[in-house]
Amino acid sequence: MGMYVEVLDPGMHEVADPEPPLVEIVRGLMFGEGPVWDQRNKWLYYVDIIGDKVMKWVPGVGSQPVLVPSGHLNGMTLDNENRLIIAGWSSRNIWRLELDGSLVSLASHFEGKKLSTPNDICIKSDGSIYWTEMQNGLLIPGMEGHDVQRYLDWQGVIRLGTDGSMKALAKDFAGSNGLCFSPDEKRMYVNDTPRAHIRVFDVLPDGTFGEGRIFYTLIGHETGHADGMKVDVKGNVYCTGPAGIHVIAPDGTLLGRLHIPGTGTGCTNMAWGDDDWRTLYVTTRNSVFRTRLKIPGIPVGPAAQGAAR
Amino acid sequence: MSWHFERVAGPHDGHTGGVVWDGGAVIYSAVLEAKLYRYDPANGVTRPIRAFTNRVNGLGLSAEGTLYGSQEGSRRIIEMMPDGSAIPLEPWLGGARINYPCDLTVDSHGRIWFADPYNPLPSHGPQVFPDLPHASVLRLEHHPTSHAWRIKRMTLDTKVPRCVALSPDERTLYVGEGDLASEGARELRAYPINAEGMLEAPRLLHSFARDQRGSQRGAEGIAIDAEGNLVVCAGSDDKGPGALIYVFSSTGRVIESHPFPGGAPMRCAFGGADRNDLYVTSATGGLWRAARTGRTGYVRPFVRH
Repeated sequence: MGMYVEVLDPGMHEVADPEPPLVEIVRGLMFGEGPVWDQRNKWLYYVDIIGDKVMKWVPGVGSQPVLVPSGHLNGMTLDNENRLIIAGWSSRNIWRLELDGSLVSLASHFEGKKLSTPNDICIKSDGSIYWTEMQNGLLIPGMEGHDVQRYLDWQGVIRLGTDGSMKALAKDFAGSNGLCFSPDEKRMYVNDTPRAHIRVFDVLPDGTFGEGRIFYTLIGHETGHADGMKVDVKGNVYCTGPAGIHVIAPDGTLLGRLHIPGTGTGCTNMAWGDDDWRTLYVTTRNSVFRTRLKIPGIPVGPAAQGAAR
Repeated sequence: MSWHFERVAGPHDGHTGGVVWDGGAVIYSAVLEAKLYRYDPANGVTRPIRAFTNRVNGLGLSAEGTLYGSQEGSRRIIEMMPDGSAIPLEPWLGGARINYPCDLTVDSHGRIWFADPYNPLPSHGPQVFPDLPHASVLRLEHHPTSHAWRIKRMTLDTKVPRCVALSPDERTLYVGEGDLASEGARELRAYPINAEGMLEAPRLLHSFARDQRGSQRGAEGIAIDAEGNLVVCAGSDDKGPGALIYVFSSTGRVIESHPFPGGAPMRCAFGGADRNDLYVTSATGGLWRAARTGRTGYVRPFVRH
């Protein structure tokens, strides 16, 4: 059975065929999240936040454990040496999973205060790391870490430079969640779950944020909210929201929505994958789906070097 | 003797809830502000001591001085450490998530007895775990060999447990059952605790009435005095005898009742140097005090196990 593609602007025809394949490749999760495609090994990493594990799905093989228990980790990406860079959520660290399997903390405190629950994460091509600081992992039943007290009195975005310096780039979010760069890395999109919108910031040469504005406000009364977010090579923004995934042109026009069926609990995140980066892996609360689209996504990991940017 | 109530702190945004005396000051919860405050009667200063509590309501101190909170917004009990951190205790009962703990008391063995009713305001974020099929008094205790926390179900007959307290000899558990939303019984019950630490069939100490204006609000908070009497927050301005602080004997006789001027009273605790002042939280969001009540709060002695 194909996926229902809701077309709201003719531009959506360039994004997706009318009924692209939609295959459920993982089921039985308690809270799926953190998908990232490893092109070198040709597998998909993902997490089960409440189930407390990091897994990998290998085509033709199925799912295998990577890190169990995980400390309720959340968003993940890969650096240019193909190491997982992880938003530690309830474990309140930014982690790097070394190729020998050890876990190294890249950040645990900001200005002397313990991080809240780092939610999602991405890496700029210069190696600097950006993540969303959010409180929800301290509050949601089933995501308990060792310490559930919140110390930072703001939610927003932190940048960790390659020199180890940390800077808060935005502090005025009600619930900062998904984040991603435009293909040229001159803009960064960050969504705010309670406010149900996406903001876009100019990225200055030093990697910090300039001017920000509201880019898109989610529509729809179906289940789903602003959570994971990714960009394709043409700059279209894919954001989880009511009904599934909203596809928004760089000028803020909603092109259409990819309807992800099933659980009634909404999508949580997505990742581009496969050799041509035209497969979209989508995590929901209980499952992982895979579908095929027409415009390649932005590569991650070593493949990001020398790609569209 | 009549009690004179004065508001010593607040008001706050929304109701105040849990209240304990820490030996020198009063710690109380502004539930919807997500803050704990500490009121120092020596200088009259109130200051926030903890933020982002996500609806911590009932508070309890162990005999050693460990502070626990009933975190309604996260469906668990937390241990609030002196360094400011908060450790979540076991929140699972037989693999299922507990409901919305709202009140607790700690016995001399360090076991935490808590009321676990449903709550119309859901926990934070996505609703992953359904409520338990029952709303009971539960007990957190350490597993004898692993020392890990585990939960036991203690009552089989409650539908809306709202508050708990132990008699000084720890042979009786008092439970306030019922609220106005449930339309069921609003009772003050005394459950004998047997030699195995389990509950026997309760004695009904008091049944809150109905009148031409409807059901009267039942017990929301209980403090115990040195004679083993129960000081109980109950009632509301718009029904029956009004918002009252009752003093019940352990057999259910009403010894005293005191009109409370702060709207529906929530929870109460004895405090002050001699433990004869009563501090009360309320629906209108303040901390109230009746000084020199003529009664002395019971203090659980510290016993090292």
